Amino acid sequence: MLEGADRSGLPGGLVATDWTWDARVGAWRADAIVYAAVVERLRRSGCNVEDRVPQWEPIRWPRADLLELRAEQREAVDAWRRTGRGCVVMPTGTGKTEVALAIMASAAASTLVVAPVRDLMYQWHRRILQRLGYDAGIIGDSAFRVRPVSVTTYDSAYIHMERLGDRFGLVVFDECHHLPGPLRRDAARMSAAPMRLGLTATPQRSDGRQVDLDWLVGPIVFDMPLAKARGKTLADYEVIRIPIHLAPEEQARYENLSRQVRAFVAERRRDQPGYAWEDLCAETGKTPQARRAMKAFHAKKAIEDRAQEKLRVLEDLFRLHAAEPCLVFTGSNAMARDVSRRFLIPCLLSHCGKKERIEVLEGLERGDYPALVCNRVLDEGVDLPEVKVAIVLGGTASGRQAKQRLGRVLRKSRKARAVLYEIVSTDTTEEHRSRRRRDSDAFDRTRRRRF
Amino acid sequence: MLTREMAIAEFDRERIVPDRLTRKTHGRYLGYAERMLRVYRRGVGLTRQALHRAVWNVFADEEDCPARRIEAFCKLLDDAAAFHRDRRGKAAALRREVFRMAAASHPLVRSPDRLFDHAETDVKAEIAQRLGRSWTDIDAELFADVIEFHRLARFDGYPDAAALLARYNVAQVQAALFGAASMRIWATEDFKTILRYAKLARLMHTIARQGPGRYRIDVDGPASALRETRRYGAAMARFLPALVACRGWRMHAVVRTRRQGWTVGLDLSSADGLTSHLPPPEAFDSTVEQSFADKWGPEPRDGWRLVREGEILHRGQHVFVPDFSFHHADGRTALMEIVGFWTPEYIEAKLHSLAQFPDARILVAAAESVRQRLGPWADRVIPFKSALALKDVLERLTQL
Repeated sequence: MLEGADRSGLPGGLVATDWTWDARVGAWRADAIVYAAVVERLRRSGCNVEDRVPQWEPIRWPRADLLELRAEQREAVDAWRRTGRGCVVMPTGTGKTEVALAIMASAAASTLVVAPVRDLMYQWHRRILQRLGYDAGIIGDSAFRVRPVSVTTYDSAYIHMERLGDRFGLVVFDECHHLPGPLRRDAARMSAAPMRLGLTATPQRSDGRQVDLDWLVGPIVFDMPLAKARGKTLADYEVIRIPIHLAPEEQARYENLSRQVRAFVAERRRDQPGYAWEDLCAETGKTPQARRAMKAFHAKKAIEDRAQEKLRVLEDLFRLHAAEPCLVFTGSNAMARDVSRRFLIPCLLSHCGKKERIEVLEGLERGDYPALVCNRVLDEGVDLPEVKVAIVLGGTASGRQAKQRLGRVLRKSRKARAVLYEIVSTDTTEEHRSRRRRDSDAFDRTRRRRF
Repeated sequence: MLTREMAIAEFDRERIVPDRLTRKTHGRYLGYAERMLRVYRRGVGLTRQALHRAVWNVFADEEDCPARRIEAFCKLLDDAAAFHRDRRGKAAALRREVFRMAAASHPLVRSPDRLFDHAETDVKAEIAQRLGRSWTDIDAELFADVIEFHRLARFDGYPDAAALLARYNVAQVQAALFGAASMRIWATEDFKTILRYAKLARLMHTIARQGPGRYRIDVDGPASALRETRRYGAAMARFLPALVACRGWRMHAVVRTRRQGWTVGLDLSSADGLTSHLPPPEAFDSTVEQSFADKWGPEPRDGWRLVREGEILHRGQHVFVPDFSFHHADGRTALMEIVGFWTPEYIEAKLHSLAQFPDARILVAAAESVRQRLGPWADRVIPFKSALALKDVLERLTQL
């Protein structure tokens, strides 16, 4: 807000399109994001203003203990420091976090780290404590502890940035492809931070809004493509696809349910030739028959998702990789619990508290637990120790999710190759989703294997 | 409140009409509401999943009932219920114990061979024995902290079926407001409540006087000055029940739909018959005010008509609604604020409000006991002991 200037004129040098007269308070108002540019313009025009915006402060890190950076990580840090604003694109597992911590250490200002989900928020909290020796504040997951260095999620940042935008001189947007959403972008727009860093492995968005990262965060200052990373800093990997069949009684139920859905649609099409999925959705509100057809459809999906055969194949894979930690991804929470209860391995779901997550992840790292199953919680960015085997039992069709999941097993390590197994029910719609999922450059060497 | 996924509304090109269940259009729903309440009242000890299934069953044969409506009812019932939430992490501790015991036997196989001889059933039986309880027991408790497995502890929400349906109707309007970019209220009464709750919901206001005792109040948030944004929609939704509890208002909101660039209007008024779960605002803040208004009566005295909370004083984001306004037949108006027996903080806040509006024609009546603490007003107040006298006030009015 700019007070003291009257409605008839903005001080010289300011860009009129940034500013709006707000009659409710009798002052000029602009988005916080223009703060740095406005200060620069006012300074150049020699205008005398009192700047009451920055509430951020210099930060010292007396207990910092940073890792030695690799050449390409140093390159990324230097590229960012030339402008103090911008995105760093590095594949999962190439040490984005280390780059960000090095940047935070040199920026030495109040910093807010914005992460996509609360697990990642807690992970940032741990890493900042470990490498910078600072107990960061937590904003989100029903906590509201604001400190000069804090961590938060995109959803909390959207809500709170309006009141916290003047508290941080540097904002780090982790997995910053999440930022340009129509609402979430407020997390950048309502912050006055002159310094901004975006981190991502996959800047592309299906809606094309990644171009907005240019002004929300800054242009891409460093870009390391996945192909360059493969086999060098990352483990080489292969994708093995295992088709399975439904058990006879599942198959029978599946077909019965399919028949119900088909019969319903066929009956509707007699009167309404173009009757489609959307019509069925709309009709569930009006007739119990449509609701039953919808229920049958969901039951069908549940059969695919929770096919007994998947657990049998999983047993075989666990035997095959008994000596190495495995990571299992499922298509639903229910299936994740099925796997957990069948094999008595920990399962990470959204109900798990912070303590349990840490215990489970560290347990896997130390070898206390042989394997871990999860639904979506670990989709992005959560650091995992040296996992070479990932098994996908279901999931959505999006390419980005596939790439992110794949990234989980590509940690840099010894010589061993990483393997990603994909178990899909044949003759079901799941097969189609799997095909779509592999339509991404990460999957260009898929093998099929029959067990 | 509901979530966006439970919102039901009809659109006709320019208007959004949130789902509404009335006796006339949905008479059967009174019976359903009764049965849903029974499910929860008798459901102590059941899991959330079981309760929701039972609610779904209530509607098994109902032709006119979208899934969202059922989910909305589940949410409203859950909101008024208390569940056991395993705060001390018993289930998490059990998981830790079980998984650690089982880790050495990984993988638990169905068909043991020479390499892998840890049969699933054997391992589970062994763990059960070590923990001194049956496996079925352990298995049932392993994920008791998952939200759908929480068990109902207590339910005492909604006095009757009509109250549940009334809450549902308001909740659907609230859900429609999640997408609201702006809200305009035309009010003739209860200004204090409207403005107080708007402020509690962290909304900003723009007030315009439309005539004696008639105001237009726009509510939105800081960024609304820069662009049309729906970031304050949730705040408007939170504010709505307070508005619904008031009298004499009409409201128009501009709501953004999911389709880019398509906005619709939402219209509502106190005549629409919605019932808030909040009580209507108290007519009077104190007995002094009440007895004064009663003594004055509805008829003019010396040409002055008395109106409760009749005018709003506002400057920027400061507002002050004096207790009474006086309207003379010849067009003159005056205001009056009564300062009763209150705390020092209250008196300080009153003085601050009065100082904001030095030009207002305002009478201040104060109890003798607080008079000395009223600073610049001490000599100008109309003093009273236990009740404010009409003649003291009329006398001052003629001097204005």
